[in-house]
Amino acid sequence: MTAPADTLAPAPAASSRSGAALLWLRIPVLIGVALAVLVPIGLVVYQSFLSAPFFDKAAAFSLSAYDFVLTDPDFHDAFLTTLIVAVGMAVIAVPLGAVLAFLVARTDLPGKGWLEPLILVPIFLSAIVVAFGYVVALGPVGFVSLAVKSVLGFIPWRIYSLPGLVVIAGLSHVPHVYLYASSALRGVNPEVEEAARTMGAPPWRVALQVSLPLIWPSLVYSGALVFFLGFELFGLPLILGDPAGLIVLTTYLYKLTNLLGSPSYQLMAVVVVAIVIVTLPLVYLQRVLLRASAKYVTLRGKGAAPRILPLGRWRYAALAIVLAWLLVTVVVPLLGVLLRAFVDRWGEGVNLLDVLTTRHFAELVQYPNVVRGIVNTLLIGVIGGALSVGVYALVALAAHRWQSRWAAAIDYLVLLPRALPGLIAGLAVLWVFLFVPVLQPLRSTLVSLWLAYTVVWLAFGLRLISAALLQIGPELEEAARVIGARPGRVARDVTLPLIRFGLVSSWLLCFMMFVREYSTGVYLLGPGTEVIGSLIVSLFGTGALDLIAALSVVNVVLIGAGLALALRFGVRLHG
Amino acid sequence: MAELIVEEVRKRLGSNEILKGVSLAIEKGEVVALLGRSGSGKTTLLRSVAGLETPDAGRISLGGRVLFDAKKRIDVPAEGRGLALVFQSYALWPHRTVADNVAYGLKLRKVPAAECAARVRGVLDQLGLGSLGDRYPHQLSGGQQQRVALARALVYSPPLILLDEPLSNLDAKLREEARIWFRQLIQRLHLSALYVTHDQVEAMAVADRVLIIEDGRAEQEGTPQELYENPRSAFAADFMGVNNRFEGRVTVTSGDAAAVEIAGDGWSLTGTCRRDRRLSPGDRAAALIRVERVAVVGEAEADTLPMRLETSLYLGERWEHQFRRGDLAVRLWTPWPLQPGDYAVRFPRESLWVF
Repeated sequence: MTAPADTLAPAPAASSRSGAALLWLRIPVLIGVALAVLVPIGLVVYQSFLSAPFFDKAAAFSLSAYDFVLTDPDFHDAFLTTLIVAVGMAVIAVPLGAVLAFLVARTDLPGKGWLEPLILVPIFLSAIVVAFGYVVALGPVGFVSLAVKSVLGFIPWRIYSLPGLVVIAGLSHVPHVYLYASSALRGVNPEVEEAARTMGAPPWRVALQVSLPLIWPSLVYSGALVFFLGFELFGLPLILGDPAGLIVLTTYLYKLTNLLGSPSYQLMAVVVVAIVIVTLPLVYLQRVLLRASAKYVTLRGKGAAPRILPLGRWRYAALAIVLAWLLVTVVVPLLGVLLRAFVDRWGEGVNLLDVLTTRHFAELVQYPNVVRGIVNTLLIGVIGGALSVGVYALVALAAHRWQSRWAAAIDYLVLLPRALPGLIAGLAVLWVFLFVPVLQPLRSTLVSLWLAYTVVWLAFGLRLISAALLQIGPELEEAARVIGARPGRVARDVTLPLIRFGLVSSWLLCFMMFVREYSTGVYLLGPGTEVIGSLIVSLFGTGALDLIAALSVVNVVLIGAGLALALRFGVRLHG
Repeated sequence: MAELIVEEVRKRLGSNEILKGVSLAIEKGEVVALLGRSGSGKTTLLRSVAGLETPDAGRISLGGRVLFDAKKRIDVPAEGRGLALVFQSYALWPHRTVADNVAYGLKLRKVPAAECAARVRGVLDQLGLGSLGDRYPHQLSGGQQQRVALARALVYSPPLILLDEPLSNLDAKLREEARIWFRQLIQRLHLSALYVTHDQVEAMAVADRVLIIEDGRAEQEGTPQELYENPRSAFAADFMGVNNRFEGRVTVTSGDAAAVEIAGDGWSLTGTCRRDRRLSPGDRAAALIRVERVAVVGEAEADTLPMRLETSLYLGERWEHQFRRGDLAVRLWTPWPLQPGDYAVRFPRESLWVF
């Protein structure tokens, strides 16, 4: 070993600053992300200032579209309704989510093991499927409604109403609050709860006066998140709001499509701008709040043993609360969809057992667009999901340990699409494919759809992969550098192998999100780009409920398979 | 010829200057320890040599080859420097076996597979890891992981090995054994190494020379013996060994400037002035004496002070006592217990350093 040192492969030019490493990857990625994010948004803004669609030769710069939309009473209605729904959702979801989180994370609630994944199920369900499930279960002639009516003589609820919409939307966003609240609660030192307990406080007082106040930054953050998601809501208001004449901003946009006969792109663009003006600050606010809550976390004692609070005689009352929420939010709509898919007809006096049939599923095959939709959904979920994870990994690697202001630029860029509800991102991507000549042939292929999905889920996917990257101690990469590996080689030999599991679990999560997705594909829907979600949206216009029910079941089964795989492999269900 | 030369390296992080111009040279076959408290800048200096930090100013060269020169804008990336670094956490790659971890440096250097396997086996045998090549890092004990990290650094015969607190993750007993093992290995292989540690005993045991770093500056450099017996500052004196440190006021200075009398509330002692500047009567001064130099003596000799025994602790192989007189409290060790009472405590004037 006293032999002269082995010579390395010729070292890079001695003058290269070590900060310049990996630029061959970083610069193209930065440009790619900037293009994918800024071009669609830029096009929307540009379109909003035109007097006609951008492909129309008569289109000129004008504020007429703003004039039309901002003075339209329907727009004012939609804006107000959206605001009410968003606030209502937060008011319902935050307390309930916090309570569920406390029960699961901090107490000896029975059956926590299987309750925890169940609580997260609504995150992975397609809102359009859930909305349909509520219609067939709790609608004026729904299964449950009819059963209740036969006992009480009347139906004590009305889902086609503003309160109905708010309650359902609020309940189905409880898991979002639960996620952040439970991870914050797991960081609370159990001794502060035990201290309250030894002074004689019952569990509910411990929750209200000790644990939950300690995690208030997380609750504020999740409240802002739910409020923000209220602006994205599309499936629920489309199906539950429309019959009652309720419109929100997204459904207003959707209806504009056919308002003037010719495509009224300039009006749609104005609505998009209006939505983004609200959502963009909200996205920024969430980022600030998340940072604040992360700081708050570090203030607490560490090394807390995972001890739990015994609920005593409250145990089963607590379980009842959780089960009641699950029943209303998951079981009722899913059972509704399932039942509806297997019966021919129903109503007062019909014994459901007599009308069971699998005919609706057999019918699926008769529609080529439906078959294509199912195949496409699988393709976009499995292959598209993998490709997207590849893209996200590339972006994450490019930003990984990049000490530069440009890395911060990527950080902000990926936040932008977060402000675009899926419906709008799909519309913007459609316009990009119409606007850019070289992309036009790809318009009616899955490429356009995949691009839209990838952009919409950019922030989500990146968070998953960065979380995996954060697990790698910097010295593991530095060790390879010092031994003689260049940055590209370090990524290949050390970084990527170490996040293998993270990549696979991101793929599974992206699969579920892509299969679930329904709004992003709405404007991109055409022969060749059908997916289950957007087909259901368009089928609603035709009233083909048999088909919708069967398609919904297929959708739920696909997502269920993904969920089962994820749980089998121990994938964390949240990034 | 000097192997590593570090000249006036500066590094600033935000408004905080971590290195304020540190210079250092390591001869071939020499082990130099960077000794300092946490936050002193010692690890930053090591990482600057490795190429993992970019200093703001200064020059670093190895065997005549310039690795870093702020003026000429030369900064050879870490992978181009041909060094080896043993991390505090060992940084073994969990997805590779022990043999693959060790072989990686040879693979990067395109060493043929057969030779590569032979050299990996050779170095593993040398470090007593012969049978563990197929294991994964998590299947090894802390001490074994530490040796794998060392094997990974040694296998491609780098001209200089950088070690960042390599023993600090071992428990105390293991660390003492590892110290001896490590010193033997260094001598057997004629390694040149830069060794970062906060443990003065470890630095003295392992290194040929020690550089004490404090607040981004070199405080003092020398052999372990020089540093222990002839510290130039109160900081260096206090950093090494176990000490009694107290403050007093200078009362008498002698003609030869070396002997100083220092006094406090009810006591007065004669010591040796260790400061560059002359002390004059009335100055406040810090006095320092190693605990092992203070002794209880039978009757009043020179340099003694009558003191009262306050507390005694039984430490196994010795007793530790605290004595007091006025505002002066000192610790000393005896091999036997002492009865409560008053004793004559001796502070040899050549060992009582006044700064």
